[in-house]
Amino acid sequence: MAAIAHKRIADATKSLAQSLSPGPGQTACQPGASFGIPALDQHLSGGMWSNALHEVRCSLARDFACAAGFALGLAAQFGKQDAKRILWVIDPAASVDSGLPFPDGLSEHGIDPKRMIFVRPITLQDALWSADQAAKCSDLSAVVFQVKGNPKPFDMTATRRLMLRARESGVLVCVLRQSGAEEASAAATRWHVEIMPSGDDADFEHGPGQARHAQTLERNRHGRTGQWTLVWNPESRAFEDGTSNLETTHRVHRIHASAHRPDRPVEMGQVVDLERAS
Amino acid sequence: MKWGKSWILNARPDTPPIVVTDMENNAVRVVAHETHAARSGIFNGQSLSDARALVPDLECHSRDRAAERKLLGSLAAWCERYTPLVALDGDDSLLMDVTGCTHLFGGEASFIADIETRLAAQGFTIRTCLADTAGAAWAMARYGTERIIACDQHEDAISPLPLAGLRLDAALVKSLGRVGFKTIGCIAEIPRAPLTARFGTYLLDRLDQASGRQDEIISPLMPVAELASEKRFADPIVHEDDIKRCIGPLAGNIIALLERRDLGVRTCELKLFRVDGEVQSLSVHASNPLRDAERIAALFHERLARLHTDLDAGFGFDIVRLNILQADPFNGGQHDLVERQDAGDGYDALIDRLGARLGRDRVLQFSFTDTHIPERRFALVPVCGRDGKTDPEQIVLPGPARTPTRPLVLLERPEPIDAIAQVPDSPPSRFRWRKVLYEIARSEGPERIACEWWRDGRTSLSRDYFRVEDTQGYRFWLFRYGLYDRETARPDWYMHGLFS
Repeated sequence: MAAIAHKRIADATKSLAQSLSPGPGQTACQPGASFGIPALDQHLSGGMWSNALHEVRCSLARDFACAAGFALGLAAQFGKQDAKRILWVIDPAASVDSGLPFPDGLSEHGIDPKRMIFVRPITLQDALWSADQAAKCSDLSAVVFQVKGNPKPFDMTATRRLMLRARESGVLVCVLRQSGAEEASAAATRWHVEIMPSGDDADFEHGPGQARHAQTLERNRHGRTGQWTLVWNPESRAFEDGTSNLETTHRVHRIHASAHRPDRPVEMGQVVDLERAS
Repeated sequence: MKWGKSWILNARPDTPPIVVTDMENNAVRVVAHETHAARSGIFNGQSLSDARALVPDLECHSRDRAAERKLLGSLAAWCERYTPLVALDGDDSLLMDVTGCTHLFGGEASFIADIETRLAAQGFTIRTCLADTAGAAWAMARYGTERIIACDQHEDAISPLPLAGLRLDAALVKSLGRVGFKTIGCIAEIPRAPLTARFGTYLLDRLDQASGRQDEIISPLMPVAELASEKRFADPIVHEDDIKRCIGPLAGNIIALLERRDLGVRTCELKLFRVDGEVQSLSVHASNPLRDAERIAALFHERLARLHTDLDAGFGFDIVRLNILQADPFNGGQHDLVERQDAGDGYDALIDRLGARLGRDRVLQFSFTDTHIPERRFALVPVCGRDGKTDPEQIVLPGPARTPTRPLVLLERPEPIDAIAQVPDSPPSRFRWRKVLYEIARSEGPERIACEWWRDGRTSLSRDYFRVEDTQGYRFWLFRYGLYDRETARPDWYMHGLFS
């Protein structure tokens, strides 16, 4: 009697161990690809995981361009290198006031506009379905899912599904959340992008220089959170540390986001320009 | 008021008869009437005032030719169940080329009987005729009594019929009548040269078409499918699942034929024939030639999922047909034994699936035009297959730049802003966009983009673009629409794009 019980327990533990370890069809997350910035790589325990779900969010509609720039940078640097296309799914609510990527601007950003495929569904359900289908497709380099605010159907379950799809197909999936609040999700990392005054322009001192952004790593599954200033280099298609040349012509006081703390101070005027007057 | 096709089925003996009237020869005349109205003495061609005198409470409706044409069109679509070659002929008839189709219905007699029964059940009064030539069938259906003219007998069969049966206009028939020609047989026997000299070539062309000496081309309403496969149901199917289940086998029937011709499917459509005469048509498109029944069926599943509630099954579908509308040479070749086979998760399959579910105009890529006006420079066009005509090679795109001159995000249309700027050429010192005030810290410009006078006309305005950065660091691309004094007295400012 006891022998049978022992055997059963042994079987149960064995099957449990099997279910916990990744099966043959299910691959674990690949070790991260290096950012090339030691401080950042250390926080991310090695670098960005390319076959995972990441989230980039911005608080205001006018921040959309810098968040899009960061998301496209991630897609270019960490997306699948042997695949070509970047698929961009637009939530119908987001396409109302945010505008579209401009081919010349994309090209100057270091991304060939011919690589971009846009999907513009009519409903959010269709957008979720499209993102889900795209994340399954291993022939894509990256998938960017542009979403506005925190819509209810795009919940924990939906993000977890995207994460699983990304892990299986090896595609970098990036949720680009515009004017959205922090929300629990299955994403490996969540970044909050804020604008910063640009660096100096070598050619013309009164003109806007190279773009710099304050990136806050709000959530990190595999390490600590933190805040950095990053500069996208479109020539080498990699992020660089932007703190090295901080001399700007105009410094403004900035409230730093809390890192290593449970919550951040409430930012004021978060939804100033969501509603239009006319 | 709206009636179904079958309003005639439940005749309304208690109510006044319904007539349709139209203006003919400067008088309002009855052009169609209900069957039981004939008992009251109403006939076609009667003037409305006469008809009103007979039946004072007559219900009149004026003729709606557009609706008639639409009805005939839907009837033609339904008649595709008999043959793919269905053409509209005039306002009230259909021509069908049934060569090689009748044996599928058990011979000519049962073919005609099937058409007549089904259309009568839908509430139509029809006259049919099956003959060697379209002209002979036309004449016999209108002026004769035979329903099937035997092979090679059509010339004899139509000779006693009146001349109007040759599809001539009334004036010509009248002038022929004046010289004593009443029937088709009369002119068939006399010398041709004098007839042509007096009445023109049109008369003899029509005669030759009817007798088969001259070919008549009928132009089918729908494109004729390269290949088709269909399934008929004795008991109509209603459920979406049943439809889905029969697509796979239908596609499977076609695959062997495609293999023999070395083709792959690009565009195919599914036609669902409803028992009451409606035809639903769904089409899907593949970006690369397909030869896989599973994948074709999967595309239709997505297409059906998009319809979902819009698919009105009514009393059910009794025929499901799969038409291959476009097929291209298949270049799939041999699969590698080791390499992962394309099991439907490749890029092409994804684009097809998205296109089938969302519509092809929802899956887009850039196409470029050689112009400097930003919003005209690009367009989003549906993603094409390998034969898609995209010529982005000619356009020179700027290379990577650390300080970009073009914004990453362009607004869908330029948005007006309230700007304060020095005249004539300075950038704004502050401006208000979407109710928020921005103080400019740095700016660069103007970069003048002249109007395209060859498209917009001489009065169109130039744009001076500025790259500006506000005190917080937001970088915008804005422009002044028009030059001070030279083009406009008070130019407006617009926001056009955002830099990353």
